[in-house]
Amino acid sequence: MMRLLIAYLGLLFSTICSAPAWALDFNDGAIQIHGFMSQGMVNTSGNNFLGKTNDSISYDFREIAVNASYRALPQLLFAGQVISHTAGESDNGDPNIDYAFMDWTALSGEWGRAGVRLGRLKNAYGLYNSTRDVTFTRPSILLPQSIYFERTRKLSVSSDGINLYADYINDWGTLSAEVALGYPLNDKASDVALLGNNIRGSFEPAFTQLYQVKYESPTGRYVFATTVVNLKEDYKPAADRDLNAGSFYFAPVILSAQYNAENWTLTGEYAFRPSSLKGFGPFLPDTSKDGESYYLQGTYRVLPKLEMLVRYDAEFNDRNDRNGNAYAAAKKGNLNFTQYTKDWTLGLRYDVTPAVMLRAEYHNIEGTAILPTLDNPLGISSYDKNWDMWLLLASYRF
Amino acid sequence: MPKFLLLFLYLIISLSAISGGNDMVIAVNNSITETRMSRNFARQLFGMKARQWPDGSAIKVFVLPDKAPQHDSFVKEILEIFPYSLRAAWDRQVYSGTGQAPSEASSIEDMKAKLASTSGAIGYLPKEKIDGAKIHMVEVY
Repeated sequence: MMRLLIAYLGLLFSTICSAPAWALDFNDGAIQIHGFMSQGMVNTSGNNFLGKTNDSISYDFREIAVNASYRALPQLLFAGQVISHTAGESDNGDPNIDYAFMDWTALSGEWGRAGVRLGRLKNAYGLYNSTRDVTFTRPSILLPQSIYFERTRKLSVSSDGINLYADYINDWGTLSAEVALGYPLNDKASDVALLGNNIRGSFEPAFTQLYQVKYESPTGRYVFATTVVNLKEDYKPAADRDLNAGSFYFAPVILSAQYNAENWTLTGEYAFRPSSLKGFGPFLPDTSKDGESYYLQGTYRVLPKLEMLVRYDAEFNDRNDRNGNAYAAAKKGNLNFTQYTKDWTLGLRYDVTPAVMLRAEYHNIEGTAILPTLDNPLGISSYDKNWDMWLLLASYRF
Repeated sequence: MPKFLLLFLYLIISLSAISGGNDMVIAVNNSITETRMSRNFARQLFGMKARQWPDGSAIKVFVLPDKAPQHDSFVKEILEIFPYSLRAAWDRQVYSGTGQAPSEASSIEDMKAKLASTSGAIGYLPKEKIDGAKIHMVEVY
């Protein structure tokens, strides 16, 4: 039975590899259909990340998406994508609408363009968030968790609202600006990341703003971006004896920089993340802290098909208490290493064909601040301070 | 000695003939009147960001597959960007819904046929493949 399955998978894989990278084009390319799917395997030496991974292998890391776009007029584009994202206990893979909007380029010319998008839109923060689920566009299997959290993924992916954008092109490069106004999506995993596994009510995202300014040199060698987000969520208490109807405020500033050479790329991002919980009543006094994150990442293309990655990624829940000692001293049972994460990552990417990619990755991690809460139901008493993570991933796109 | 010199000359001529044969230039359908374009605008066009010709008509971009050596040399030498950057820009747009991918031509001959038959089309061809009948060359400055 096992041999049959392996033979079948081998056959499927070789068929996919030998197939050309196809995409569906209709109406002279005005209608396009694309998509991707990826399957990961995760194993950890401690803690659970994306399923039950502690001393076992989780296959609950899967991304499947199909998108369609229709250019009705040169200045009018309709686009939508349906995604199924499976991530351990955080996301069961129920398909949902990732984005669906109309994009009207009101002005355009050799100087650049300006327009407006309306509908469900990807949140374009940092360098990677707008395509964070597409493994082909990511530098690694897991994006640097200090900035692209898995534990609050849903809240950061897309919003319902409006987006104004402009690109100005000159001899010295391209300057882009974007303003996104709307209401982010939400799920249980993001809720428990804020109030813990015993949360009784739920959060409802309030009006949120995102601003990004980006500079790209003419050849794309240098990229610099600044993103500012102002996010608010209102707590809806469970009817009986719950916390008061408080709010969560999050206002990160993200600085991004990238240098692209022919065979290597150097990327760094820094985030200053002030957040606060206010108005929850006597059982949860108002708190606020300034989180801080950064990573530095190098990728080297050994061969056109083979890429290596090395990265150092650090996250601190409170920049004034980086080692978590003050937190641990404040209350019995608090553990300092739950307040930060330091992650050394090594990765390998092999593009079998333009449509098929294989990846392997190793993380050496100290601290548990990035852990998805739902994957670790036993709570912090079960957390391991030092842990390793191994990941394998196969991905196909069209 | 003259023999060597002759051989040397012959080598140089044949080598330049080979590289001349691979010289890619921007080619457009004759519905487009442009004969010159800035490198910046060419990058916008092939980056799938510009969607309209100055006369308002729709731009149709054709490229060869990523692995085609002619694609590689066109992107590096005419657009002066890295092919992987161009691919990344297309992917970001296609998978975030903010843009579309260019249409793919399977070969130089296929590219020539598509550019000749599609109004508003832009692509690239070896210089000597452009006869002026339905396609003309656009110089980049």
